[in-house]
This record gives sequence, structure tokens and C-alpha cells, in this order.
Amino acid sequence: MSSLLPNRSKTSVLVFLVPPLLLYGVAVLLPIFQSLFLSFFRWDGITDPIFIGLENYVRMFVRDDVFWISFFNTLSYLVICLVLQLGGALIVASLLISLRRARELVKTLYLLPAVISTVAIAFLFQRIYSLDPVGLLNQFLQWMGLGQLQQAWLSNVDTVLAAVSIPEGWRFTGLYMLIIYAALLAVPQELEEAARLDGATWWQVFTKIRFPYIRPVWISTTIIAATYALRGFDIPYLLTNGGPGQASELLTTYMYKTAFTHTDYGYASAISMFIVVECLIAVGLIVLLLRRKADA
Amino acid sequence: MTALIATAEESSTPRRPAPAHRRRRLNVHRTLASVIIALIVVVQVYPLAWLFLTSVRTERDFAAGNPFALPSEVTFENYARAFETGNLWLNILNSLIVTLGANALIVLLGMMAAFALQVLGFRFSGFVRGLFLVGIIVPVQIALVPLFIDYSSIGLLDTHLSMVIPLAAFALPMSIYLFSSFYEYIPRETYEAASIDGAGPYRIFGQITFPLSTNTIVTIVLVNSIFIWNDFIFANTFVLSDGLKTIPLGLQNYIGAMGNIDWTATFAAVCITITPLLLVFLVLNKAMIYGLESGATKG
Repeated sequence: MSSLLPNRSKTSVLVFLVPPLLLYGVAVLLPIFQSLFLSFFRWDGITDPIFIGLENYVRMFVRDDVFWISFFNTLSYLVICLVLQLGGALIVASLLISLRRARELVKTLYLLPAVISTVAIAFLFQRIYSLDPVGLLNQFLQWMGLGQLQQAWLSNVDTVLAAVSIPEGWRFTGLYMLIIYAALLAVPQELEEAARLDGATWWQVFTKIRFPYIRPVWISTTIIAATYALRGFDIPYLLTNGGPGQASELLTTYMYKTAFTHTDYGYASAISMFIVVECLIAVGLIVLLLRRKADA
Repeated sequence: MTALIATAEESSTPRRPAPAHRRRRLNVHRTLASVIIALIVVVQVYPLAWLFLTSVRTERDFAAGNPFALPSEVTFENYARAFETGNLWLNILNSLIVTLGANALIVLLGMMAAFALQVLGFRFSGFVRGLFLVGIIVPVQIALVPLFIDYSSIGLLDTHLSMVIPLAAFALPMSIYLFSSFYEYIPRETYEAASIDGAGPYRIFGQITFPLSTNTIVTIVLVNSIFIWNDFIFANTFVLSDGLKTIPLGLQNYIGAMGNIDWTATFAAVCITITPLLLVFLVLNKAMIYGLESGATKG
């Protein structure tokens, strides 16, 4: 690109560019290569690392059941987060558009959970799911006459994965609502009005006018939400640490345990390389799927 | 923006009077939408209100059962006990240090990189831009093991800096992106005039680009502060000693130690840790909402 300052020196470019590149290189880029490198070794951090080639990857894909359990748990976690965050965001944003007053108030209130730390959220949900003393959820079930459903949601292997996913969905739905709301505001009102006068139903207006209009924003929002869900860690780690058994183990919590509880740095690096690749594949798939629909 | 559209809606109504039944249906829709929104907002906010309500209950009241009931009497002793038992003041101080340090790096280095990329320009700027973009997608977990090893070999483990470095580095790409897209709008003539007056790149950066960036700086600091203040994973991995623990870790310690012994004081401790950011958010919510919107849609 051309410079706006014709007589700037090469040194000045370096002065401005090197410090940010250095920080970024040391803390983001270098670790990617270090992880790749370490993933070919067996290393406990104390004795000398032993080069084992692709052995960590073979172990991961072929012999490690926990890896696969964690992988499928991560996918479920991803689906629950996306449905809550994007589905909830789209519904609330669409409703908010039709509201006349209090839009700013709703935006602010809906966004509140995004400001709370994950440690506080984990504590809050522990109390919500609690059976003894009876938490909000179980108390609510009793009032609804569904007392037989009362249980310790975080100890039941069938419910724990959903129970650790919901707080993450709850936390960020406000953020995605803001983005989609801003996109919906840009949809031309005359177009929708004209379609309605022609007798188009609410659903037709939505699928033929609104959604195509916000599709680019929808794609980038889905990418952000998906990559954030795939790296989700704090809440499952704090609520159950993957348990009971491996019922709520995600790839991230499994990687963390492998690295810092079992100090198996090589294998942990292989898992974290997989998490990176998984994020890249997710981004590719989202772009591909949402674009193809546009062509059809 | 919202106000503009709201007035546009109202002014268009009298021009094109809808038939009575249509208007009634529209009103029913509006009311229904309001009711559903109100319900959703209650579900969204009630858990937070419940935290605060429980934090002012007496222990006897809490043990009595019904979690939905309003407190029978209001007490602030829970807060006194939370401050006594925990290290909360120290945790808040540590969080302030880390948040300020990381924000300073994010803003300064972000401006510098954007200035080099957007204003100075150089041959491989496209490649460098691409390098920085990688950081938006890459999950932070990739850096944990390598940084842990690097830190322990150079003695940086268990310092404030060990948290500041990765927090700043992973936020840098978005910061560079926002500054760059703002610098695009600074007119070329501004720079030409300064160049003719004999100003070099350093003076132009200090006297033109930096002062013009104030709004973008506010946006970036507000948005990043939320994530840095609440960071758990880097703090949990790189910090071991109690004296350095930030709020999330201090709170986790407190919950671990007192969570099953002194329930109501634990609720108070949780409320103490979330209040500073909640207050900032409620006061500055317009700026923060704007920042979150622009940060996310431009990314």
C-alpha cells in the first residue's frame, strides 16, 4: 500500500511496527509453533523430552476414548450454546424492533450477564441447580407440579452436559442480540411495509426480506459464537471439572488436565493443536454452509 | 440511530392510515412482543437480582428454605464478614493493576501497529495484517502450555506481567483492526499539510493521529476491560501466590474455603466482586454497547 507520508523513513516504520509485533509474536504466534513442535514429543516438564513423531496424534485418534468423548461433548456444548445465543438473540432482536419504548433499557438489562465474571456465574448456577439446599430450578419445578423431576442437575450424567452449557449460552446471548439488532435496524422499512401491504405473512417477510438482509452479519456472528463456544472452558471447569466421570469433559478441560494435572505437555499440545484446527474447520464450514444457501 | 427510526415510524403512520382491523392486529402484536420481551428480560436478570437479595439475608432466613422469597430482614453483616475473611481488597488492587497494564499495551501498541499499517505503509503490510488476523480466530488455550514453559524458564511465572502479556497480545488484533478502520477516515490532506510543515512521522503520530483517536481508545478500553477484569484462565494458570491473585481467583478461593460454611457471606463476596464492573457498565452503558456492537460487527 502507498504511504500517506512520502518522506517517512524505513526506521520509523520499524519503530512503530516492531513493538506490537514482538508482543504478538511472543504470546500468540510463537506458542502456536511451540505447541506444534511439542506435540511430537513425550515430555513431563522435568526429564528430557523424547521425540516420538506422530505417536501423540495416533494415541489421540485411535486409542484414547476420553478424547472422543470430549470431542462429542464439545459438539453438544457447541450446539446448545449456538441455539441459546443465536436463536435467543434473533428472537429478542426481532421482538425488540417492534417495540416502541424502552429499547435502550432492554438492551442494557439483557446484556448484564456479559459483564459478570465466569467464577461468579459458576457459583450462581451451582446454587440454581442445587438440590440441597433446594435451588431456584428445583423449587420452580415443584411449584409447576413437576416435583418428580427434581434432581441434582450437576451430578446426573444425563443432565450435566446441558447444565454446564446453559450458563455459557445465557452469558453471551445479550452480546449477539445487540449485533443482530443493529443489523435488523438497517433493513429498509419501506420494503417490509410494501410486502405486508401485498399480504405477505410475518414468516414470508422474515425469510424473504429480513434474513437475506442481515445474512452477512449473521455469518460473522455465527463465526464469533462458534469459535467462542469451541474454546469454552471456564464454566465447565469451575462447575464440574469435566465430571461426573467424563460426562461434561470438553476438549479444553481435557487438554488443561492433561497439561497441568498430569504434566503430559506433549499430548496436551497435540490436543490444543486439534482445538485450533477444529476452530478453523468450523469457520470454513460456517462460511461454506451459509454462503451456499444464498446461492440456492 | 434508534431515535431516528422511531420518529420515522411515527411520522409515517398518519400519512398512510391503516384499516382499523389492521391497526388493532398491530397493537395486539406489539403488546404480545412487549410481554414476551418482559418475560425474557426477567429470566435474564432475575438470577443477578437473586444474588444481591440473598447476600442481604440473615443466615437463619437463608436456611429456612424457599429461595424465591424476599428477605425477611435486610442485613449487611454478610458483607462485613466477606471483607474480613477474604483478601478482596488485595484482589481488587491486583485486578486494577492487570487491567490498567493490559489496556495500556493494547491501546498503545494497537495504535502504533495501525499507524504503521494504515498511515506509513510498507511493502509487506498485507502479510502483516494477515498475521494479526490469525489471532482473532486462534483459541487462547494454544498459548497456555508454551507460555507456562517459557515463563518458568525465564522466571516470569507468578507475576502480574505473566497475565498482562497474553491478555494484551490476544486482544491486540481487534484493537489494531478498530484503529486501522478509524485511521482510514482521517483525510489525506491532514497528513499532507503536516508533512509540508516539516512534521516527521513521530510528531504526526503524537500531535495528529493520537489526539484524534480518543473515541476509539475509549471504546477499546471499555470493551477489553470487561474481558481482562474477568479473566480466569490465564490467572489460574500462571499465578500461584495469594498476594497476586486477581478478583476471579480470589473469589474462587473464597468460594472454595467458605462456600459450604458461610453461605450468605459467600453470596456477599460474589456481589462485591461483580459490583465494580456492573456499576461502570450501568453508568457507561451507551458507550459500552456502542463499543461491543462495533467491535463485533467489524470483526
